[in-house]
Amino acid sequence: MTTIPAPTFVGTDLSADLATAALDVARKFHDGATLWVIAPQWEPHAHHVAVEFVHPVIMGKRALPSVALVESDPVAQARVASQPGDLLLAVATADDAAVTDAMRRADAWGVTTLWIGSGPRPPAGAAHHILWVDSDDPMVPATGRFVLMYHLLWELTHVCFEHPGLLTTPADDTQTCVTCSDEGRLAEVILPPAGAGREALVRTARGEEWVDTAMLGAVDVDDLLLVHGGVAIAAVTAAEDEVTP
Amino acid sequence: MTTGSTGNPDTTGFLYPFIESEESDVGALLGDLAASARSKAAESARLQQESLHEYDDALRAAGAQMAERFLRGGRLYTLGNGGSSTDAATLASLFSRPARGRPVAAWSLAADEAVVTALGNDVGFELIFKRQIIAHARDRDIAVALSTSGNSEDLMTAIGEAKQRGLLTIGFAGHDGGRMAATDDLDFCFTVHSQSIHRIQESHAMLGYRLWSVAQEHMAAARAGAS
Repeated sequence: MTTIPAPTFVGTDLSADLATAALDVARKFHDGATLWVIAPQWEPHAHHVAVEFVHPVIMGKRALPSVALVESDPVAQARVASQPGDLLLAVATADDAAVTDAMRRADAWGVTTLWIGSGPRPPAGAAHHILWVDSDDPMVPATGRFVLMYHLLWELTHVCFEHPGLLTTPADDTQTCVTCSDEGRLAEVILPPAGAGREALVRTARGEEWVDTAMLGAVDVDDLLLVHGGVAIAAVTAAEDEVTP
Repeated sequence: MTTGSTGNPDTTGFLYPFIESEESDVGALLGDLAASARSKAAESARLQQESLHEYDDALRAAGAQMAERFLRGGRLYTLGNGGSSTDAATLASLFSRPARGRPVAAWSLAADEAVVTALGNDVGFELIFKRQIIAHARDRDIAVALSTSGNSEDLMTAIGEAKQRGLLTIGFAGHDGGRMAATDDLDFCFTVHSQSIHRIQESHAMLGYRLWSVAQEHMAAARAGAS
């Protein structure tokens, strides 16, 4: 084999994505987050991310809470594990059904999401941070490219800890409703209405609350709803994230 | 996220370069992080190419011998600790359920927590892999051990056992190769010359991928030649 010039693994755009992601991850850890990791197609990658953060290879670096969720239903595992403020990282292709489902529920769980993968990209906004290898080669996951990606995420995250003044999360400037100071928030049903009642217990990024579901049809456990001012105003369907009133 | 502003430069600011910049300049930090990411990624790519080039002949020979064993019904066992155990599992998956090509029997000896904890608790951690080699191995099998230091005791004892039982033994090491580079128990030792555990692991993945590619080529050729 003749020497081939080394390819560019991380260009300008991806390096900027990694930097932004690392600062966000550092801030969330600073605020007490646990990093949950799912990789339904490649469980060893989930384990590698977790061990990277829990037991750093560089002496003196902080041990951080991270757990690989590798049971047969990673969505169910992530749902029960995650709490508002946590981090959820997936290593998966954009068409992975379980990861897609977890990502669309993340706002209701109140978790910040990262998605590492290769091949066709997930749609913009599918995760808070998309760290992508733009290659159609299906062998990419076995060549060290994903390992490099989460190694870099770990390395940059720890650089951020050397800048404590920058670890404070900026104030949330989310737009809110002018009449009730609330916003449309994604919620996941914990307890559907019982009997003739119309109140359902849901979880949102703010925690658990009871909401009125009278505007909707049947409501089941784990359904996603849009809630506003204590009222479920729409069901969010699985197919296209369409809102159906 | 907005870029932090350093605003009006203080005339004495140069005396205290970190006070202002560290506390408020998010933009500068993000710029530094991005540059660091590109630099480390370039080193990862360079090291992979250097390792592939250095071991070109040996990788071809080892891959061919693996293929010959797979065609006789041989199995691949992969071994590693910590992050390297996950890389060992990824390597085993590459052989056993590749996205393309012919799957062959392969698994990581760290994958079963019942076996690993039983052995670790009952006979000692340094024997968690050796005892499994004793239980599983036939002379047509293959063992690939991954250790960034090249010194892991549990791997070294397993490699010695594997060699004694006639397995093809392959080691992936780092730094100066450690005990792996010195032992006669390894038929092939691929040492990635780096001081960074991260960069070593990224090259280990590429070397494993190369072994898989060579083995696949040989298995396809053997099938074509047999018809």
